[in-house]
Amino acid sequence: MVWKLLKQHISAAQLAGFFFANLCGMVIVLLSVQFYGDVLPVFTQGDSFMKKDYLVVSKKVSTLGSVVGKSSTFSEGDIADMEEQPFTKAVGTFTPARFKVYGGLGVQGMQLSTAMFFESVPNRFVDVKLNDWTFKEGQEEIPIIIPRNYLNLYNFGFAQSRNLPQLSEGVMGMMSLDIRISGRGQVKAMKGRIVGFSNRLNTILVPEDFMLWANRTYGDNETNRPSRLIVEVDNPTDERIAQYFKDNGYETEGDKLDSGKTAWFLKVIVSIVLSVGLLISILSFYILMLSIYLLLQKNTVKLENLLLIGYSPSRVARPYQAMSIGLNLLVFVLSMAAVVAIRSVYLDVIGKIFPDLPPSSLLSSCVAGGILFLLVSCLNVWAIRRKVNSIWIRK
Amino acid sequence: MNTIELQQTLPEVFAGRDSIVSDIWHKQVALQRGKTYLIEAASGTGKSSLCSFIYGYRRDYQGIICFDGENIRNYSVFQWVAVRKRSISMLFQELRLFGELTAWENVQLKNTLTGYADKKQIRQWFEALGISDKWNERIDKMSFGQQQRVAFIRALCQPFDFIFLDEPISHLDDGNSRIMSEILIEETKKQGAGIVVTSIGKHLPLNYDRIISL
Repeated sequence: MVWKLLKQHISAAQLAGFFFANLCGMVIVLLSVQFYGDVLPVFTQGDSFMKKDYLVVSKKVSTLGSVVGKSSTFSEGDIADMEEQPFTKAVGTFTPARFKVYGGLGVQGMQLSTAMFFESVPNRFVDVKLNDWTFKEGQEEIPIIIPRNYLNLYNFGFAQSRNLPQLSEGVMGMMSLDIRISGRGQVKAMKGRIVGFSNRLNTILVPEDFMLWANRTYGDNETNRPSRLIVEVDNPTDERIAQYFKDNGYETEGDKLDSGKTAWFLKVIVSIVLSVGLLISILSFYILMLSIYLLLQKNTVKLENLLLIGYSPSRVARPYQAMSIGLNLLVFVLSMAAVVAIRSVYLDVIGKIFPDLPPSSLLSSCVAGGILFLLVSCLNVWAIRRKVNSIWIRK
Repeated sequence: MNTIELQQTLPEVFAGRDSIVSDIWHKQVALQRGKTYLIEAASGTGKSSLCSFIYGYRRDYQGIICFDGENIRNYSVFQWVAVRKRSISMLFQELRLFGELTAWENVQLKNTLTGYADKKQIRQWFEALGISDKWNERIDKMSFGQQQRVAFIRALCQPFDFIFLDEPISHLDDGNSRIMSEILIEETKKQGAGIVVTSIGKHLPLNYDRIISL
């Protein structure tokens, strides 16, 4: 009955205006959040087992330096200086093997064998979630991470020219390598298992524990200075990094700087789109508030009479509050539906280009939409109540 | 609620006037539950203002108004809602009915809030006051006299300690006034309530305990 009375003067056109404006804003906001979540892995994937923002740093090897025997290794002073830089979070050194390594692989009866080398970095630079990345003394199997290039070299160069089968990463992971390590007059045969492929590390990586044990047991005694450093930074796009490296004649390996930049641009673009969406949402919210204020204004006499025959302000405000919450909820649900629909289209495309992208969930956009819905609804409820209270107080 | 006290009350608009001859303004007056009062006044002496002060929708007065010794100026919204639902019923001079609703819907709007009268009782009142054929008629299609009767019935649809009727029969004939009096007496007796009627000429025929001139 109260609703029958209060629904008069409701302007369908105004509410429709709010509805579509808010729908647009909400879809843009949610879509940008969702898109960011879906697409970001494209730029950050690859070395999921490594911490994200790290750089591999080496000194330039110049012709002159080679001739005069200038060292391309990092002194302790270099490392300390690097650690003090404002963009640095942590610095680790590559520990090279001080023993000889031979690796062998049997493919269709054909034995490939080669001299190899191992390096290790401190475990904290390798994602700890990787359970395989452990080594205990006495263990016969060594987990290994090799550059993805090696696999490509084999698959697209070697295997094709020799009519050998191409190997997927999964198959490689199941094969075991024959590893022979020797030094100080001892020889030990072990098995190697490839647990990961790296786009960015141009080395054959083994766990630090193994390296320490093997160097102790088989290594010669001289300690090598590290020739490469692994540096974790706050933001790989920081221009101070580039400047510092240039000043000291350092080089970085891999494409981390580039993909970091791309990810950063993605962030910027998404932020811009997000702000536009938010702006539209705020404006549409404004339309709704104006519309409801106008409605309350037109119904002031009725509201006043309802209050005078004993209706409480909260009871009188409730139909309008319910109406705005209902509208907001409808907008939320419809915009989620729109996001799901649009997402399925672009996921198709992305899925074709990057087939092994990890699946992402709708959670982020759901949460963002939920927060937006709650925020807008609370503001509506509060504003309507305030307006009704002002009608009460006016008397 | 047993008493409504007015202590030195005066509408702020009268503050500039030199001499005020009144039984209420600038006096000490107490209205008791169970008694019947007639407030007689010429137009413009503040009848409706008095009603609005006591009913809490205007506060532009000087002095103090108390319900059972409690100053109503400090009442919260919550307290006022309770007073309007359970303690004081008001038949407004301007009626304050909803023109776009029917007679029954107008009464129902109040009755669903209080749950006081049953539909049968309400129908009897409609019949007694001769507007049973207007049951489903929209209020804005009815004459003012008919509307007055609907508003009166609405005012009965709640428990009350006092019922205020602001010029209830200004547009009623004597027959209907008599019937209204009978219903009013019956209802107030049932509730032990006090009656306050204002009038500028025609009185609701009742046995008044006190006639106050404003």
